[in-house]
Amino acid sequence: MQFVNLFLIRMIQTILVIWVVVSIVFVISRLIGNPETSLLPFDATNEDYERIREKLGLNEPLIVQYGIFLGDAVQGNLGYSYHRTGAALTIVADKVLGTVKLTAAGLIVALGLGLPLGVLAALRRGSPLDWLARLIAVFGQATPSFWLGLMLIFFLATKVSWFPTAGAEGFRSLVLPAFALGLLSAAGFMRLTRSGMIDVLSTDFIRTARAKGLNERTVIMRHGLRHALIPVMTILGIELGRLIAGSVIIEVVFSWPGIGRLMIESILQSDYPTVQAGLVVIAASITFGNLIVDMTYRVIDPRIRMAAL
Amino acid sequence: MSVSASTQAEVAAANTESRRRWQVSQRRRRYLLVAPPMLVMVAFIVLGIFADVIAPGDPGDTNLLSRLEPPVFSGGTSEFPLGTDHVGRDIWTRVVHGARVSLIVVAIVVPGAALFGTVIGMFAGWRGGIVGQLLMRYVDVQLALPAILFAVLLGAVLGASLRNVILILLVWTWTVYARLIRAEVLSLKEREFVLASLAAGGSNWWIMRKQLLPNVFNTIVVIMTLEIPIVIVAEASLSFLGVGAPVEQATWGRMITEARNYLTHAWWVMWMPGLALMLVALSGNLVGDWLRDLLDPRLRNLG
Repeated sequence: MQFVNLFLIRMIQTILVIWVVVSIVFVISRLIGNPETSLLPFDATNEDYERIREKLGLNEPLIVQYGIFLGDAVQGNLGYSYHRTGAALTIVADKVLGTVKLTAAGLIVALGLGLPLGVLAALRRGSPLDWLARLIAVFGQATPSFWLGLMLIFFLATKVSWFPTAGAEGFRSLVLPAFALGLLSAAGFMRLTRSGMIDVLSTDFIRTARAKGLNERTVIMRHGLRHALIPVMTILGIELGRLIAGSVIIEVVFSWPGIGRLMIESILQSDYPTVQAGLVVIAASITFGNLIVDMTYRVIDPRIRMAAL
Repeated sequence: MSVSASTQAEVAAANTESRRRWQVSQRRRRYLLVAPPMLVMVAFIVLGIFADVIAPGDPGDTNLLSRLEPPVFSGGTSEFPLGTDHVGRDIWTRVVHGARVSLIVVAIVVPGAALFGTVIGMFAGWRGGIVGQLLMRYVDVQLALPAILFAVLLGAVLGASLRNVILILLVWTWTVYARLIRAEVLSLKEREFVLASLAAGGSNWWIMRKQLLPNVFNTIVVIMTLEIPIVIVAEASLSFLGVGAPVEQATWGRMITEARNYLTHAWWVMWMPGLALMLVALSGNLVGDWLRDLLDPRLRNLG
């Protein structure tokens, strides 16, 4: 029952977020921008402008435009792309898989690098390994992801051609973008796991576990890690959002076919319907990702009360 | 056999003494560690302010006869200490003037966002009400969405100018202050000294100015420092994506974008602005971390 409530509340939140997104894009594109100027050539006549304004419904009062626009949006019609053929939502949907792949790979890098390094650094405090982990964390946190991507391309794709410089053909082309995307989050996960692990190792129940003769591996993995992971779980949702947001610039750097690159191209072409559809999909997936994280979080740590929404 | 009370006291004193000494040495070590990044930040500020003196040439001057000249330490001439790019512009001049653009953006965006975010955060925390709730919901939504997309959208619609970049980054970053300051004010609100002032008839304005502001001041300073590298990287990202400062202005982000095509045969074109950006971002982070530990360790898990 609690889960159902939580789910409903989050669904309402998601809808609200999408409404805000759609409205922001509406305001930006209709009030500040002129869709028609980007559609017509420089030497277009006034009649051309009039015709296209009529066709796009831009002659109605703004509030009527907004009403029509929201009505269409509710029915899942986010308009047709100005520059590509087809419904904006379909064009975006075609690119979803690319972004999902990249984000998932980024998350795997982030967790696969962050958690083990964090645990090892906590177990061997002050050792060279600890220093290395902290160095990685500092660099990962400070290096702009697009610059990291370009450095990876420079060293691993042009100096030695271990990986392709761009594109999305096969597993090898996913390695560099996933790493460039995941390192920032890996740094965050590492820091949290390290400090969580250090805290937990000095608690009584770890001493008890050791005293009753459990081997060190069980103590660390079963008793220690489980507690150290709770703070990691709390930021998992935020990090997922960050990864999705970060994938935009990484897709541009690596010419990866995903929503991010589509969006940047569409924005620069003033293709507002596509931009809108893309933002709605991204906003929905971020809030939905948060919902899933929230649910799992409550399964892992039942102490979280539902009141703490 | 029992240890006498005086010995115990001595041991305790020695313990505190050694711990104190350890803390002092620890602090000294941190000063040493933070010195190099501090120097980088100072160099960045000096380069930005005195760009015209340090690199008097025009960053946009092209010279097609000396395209893609290597830097002086890689077989080039001292005429172009860091080499030239694909249209023969001097990279040293451009990197220095790029520092100026970054500095201008930081100098306006960071205090501006801090001021706006603090005002909103204080209001939402102290008075709350429906307006406060709505403001915070908006902050939640904005913090949950990929800011870069909205920034690029705004940039494309508004057109490329330094003023627009500053505007976009202000909109992008004020929410961080608002959320944290609100949380601080919410907890300060319940503290005795604030309740006492309220009971003694202190006006809202007086309490905010004399009691809340001094107590959140450290937090504001810490966030501002941590935001410096974030704003620099954000500006570079916008330029990298082609919606930053206009073409005639040399920015690190745009230099990096333009250099991508020459990656294989003229590495310096990309590496010079890239290294500058990375160095400043890294140093800004380290200085920010240090200041946070010094002033407000509670903010450690800010992420």
